[in-house]
Amino acid sequence: MKAPIHKSRIEDDIRIRAYYSKYIFNSHFLIFLTIAGGVFLYSLLGMLSAMEPNIYLDIIAALLMSIVLLPKYRSLLKEADVLFLPPYEKYMKTYFSYMNRYSFWLSAYLPITGLIISLLLLRVGHPGWVMVLFVGMSVLLYIFAFLIRRDAVNTPMDRNSVILMLILIHFISLFSILVNPLFILLGLLLIGGLYFLVQKKQHKNLDWPKIIDHEASMKQKYYQYVSMFTNVRLSSKQYKRRKYFDALLKQPPPGRFNKNHMYEYLFRRTFLRDDDLPMIILRLLMIFSIVIIWVDAPVLSVIVLLFALYVIVLQMSQLYTAQAYLLWPKVWPVEREYIQESYIRFSHKVILMIALLLAVIFIFLHPVYFYIAAVFPLWGFALNSYFSKNVYKKERLLSD
Amino acid sequence: MVLNIENLTGGYSRTAVIHDISFNIKSGEIVGLIGLNGAGKSTTIKHILGLLNPHAGHIEVNGTRIGEDTEEYRRALAYIPESPILYEELTLNEHINMTAMAYGLDEATAWERADKLLKMFRLEEKGRMFPTHFSKGMKQKVMLICAFIVEPDLYIIDEPFLGLDPLGIESLIELMVSEREDGRSILMSTHILSTAERYCDRYVILDDGKLLISGTLDELRTGMNMPGASLDELYLSLTGGARSNESTHS
Repeated sequence: MKAPIHKSRIEDDIRIRAYYSKYIFNSHFLIFLTIAGGVFLYSLLGMLSAMEPNIYLDIIAALLMSIVLLPKYRSLLKEADVLFLPPYEKYMKTYFSYMNRYSFWLSAYLPITGLIISLLLLRVGHPGWVMVLFVGMSVLLYIFAFLIRRDAVNTPMDRNSVILMLILIHFISLFSILVNPLFILLGLLLIGGLYFLVQKKQHKNLDWPKIIDHEASMKQKYYQYVSMFTNVRLSSKQYKRRKYFDALLKQPPPGRFNKNHMYEYLFRRTFLRDDDLPMIILRLLMIFSIVIIWVDAPVLSVIVLLFALYVIVLQMSQLYTAQAYLLWPKVWPVEREYIQESYIRFSHKVILMIALLLAVIFIFLHPVYFYIAAVFPLWGFALNSYFSKNVYKKERLLSD
Repeated sequence: MVLNIENLTGGYSRTAVIHDISFNIKSGEIVGLIGLNGAGKSTTIKHILGLLNPHAGHIEVNGTRIGEDTEEYRRALAYIPESPILYEELTLNEHINMTAMAYGLDEATAWERADKLLKMFRLEEKGRMFPTHFSKGMKQKVMLICAFIVEPDLYIIDEPFLGLDPLGIESLIELMVSEREDGRSILMSTHILSTAERYCDRYVILDDGKLLISGTLDELRTGMNMPGASLDELYLSLTGGARSNESTHS
């Protein structure tokens, strides 16, 4: 007998996650995580032991929790469902209750991690019972945030506005508890108010196209996240013209108008017009820069920046895979080695620029250790050479 | 001989889709590759392009097999697929540049040819746009422009008229005839038999992965003992006959 639809879809999703987790949490990454996690905890505990209670720690703890208390709702519906499932809407209670449970626990790891870090911060200057209240409120906010985000899909409300309101309410609720525990009532009132507003705005029947679009966008976001660590074949690439980059996309001079440079011509455009890639790299650069400014420790900064380069090099390799499997390189009278050589040339240039930028930030923060910055371009070059070869190897295996 | 296929057997996996196919194309010929859906036309084309490896037999373009000199083999071919395949990140002009660079054309020659073609297909104002946002017919025109700037010895065109407007069809026919006059050859897979009858010099008719018959229209008529028959009639008689034989044997 065929498995019920909810069972097969949840199993498929778990299978996909298990498949990609294998690549994300590879041995290199686990070693890095262990070292970075250890150094982070060590420096955080050291810093906290010397600190007096202050409002900034409370703000950081409340802010951290308000960002991580945003569980995603996954309906696991597919595009074709809009044709077949609406007539069975009233018989789909079981399906949706399974999806509720699955989605609820899917994002739980993030608030748990956030809560551990927040509690470490709150140990400075807060009694145990306030911390218990903070945990209790966080759990309550997570449950409400889940119900609100789930139900908001079936309303005309804009997704970003709902997220913004939730972050604001989370922050006010958690921070006010730390100021005065009696303010817990304010938090309950705010989150309850938003919940009732969303209930009031709900459509009578399910808005199937919107729920399906929401699921497609959640799926795409998951693949975007995974693509930061490994190649994702299911991710559909999108491109857009950024006029401010057009100056970098000039017609090649006559000496470079040939097969030796054609793929670099293509990679440059693929990179600068990719819908996500330049912005992901920019975001990564900003996040890692903020982290090293925050930790303000040379050794930890070096580890963080080496990891930043590792993630960025992995990001870059999707450029090569996006081109290597297309039809035209197999039809054009140009040897496949030209794609590989062009990719190496182009990615080395990009990685070198990023590594130099990171080196400048590092030198600015730790001028005494300026000579250590030389490691970034070298590490970027070594990583890029290693991973490019891996991409070719995979491509050769697939084409055999 | 521009294209010579001898005893080609092949397909996507170990199970053969096409069996023992042989035919050739001379310089300055338009040859129609004709068959029902699933007859093996696209598989044959993919073998010619070198996208599939033959299980048996061989293919030569200008006397060269793909394994002997891949670049020389491919330089003699330009392919126009049934459904346009475009780079989402490239504008129309950039598609032309990429094709020119791939086939070793210098910029001036490529654009001299491209400008004429862009005008012919009424796309001269669209050069800076992304073809992925074009209609199906316009995308097909981009494919045609990219193939025709190359001026190769052999064009391989899969369903050339699909999605084109009447003016586009007229321009394409005009181009094909002019290329033939310049000594270039075309292998065209099509279901539009009336047009094929008017412009093709010879026909290769496939059914169920096998070559049923090949030759000029007169040779087909004589071979099938149907004097004065149109290509449509010959084709229906052939494929209908093949189906009846099959059911008789099974």
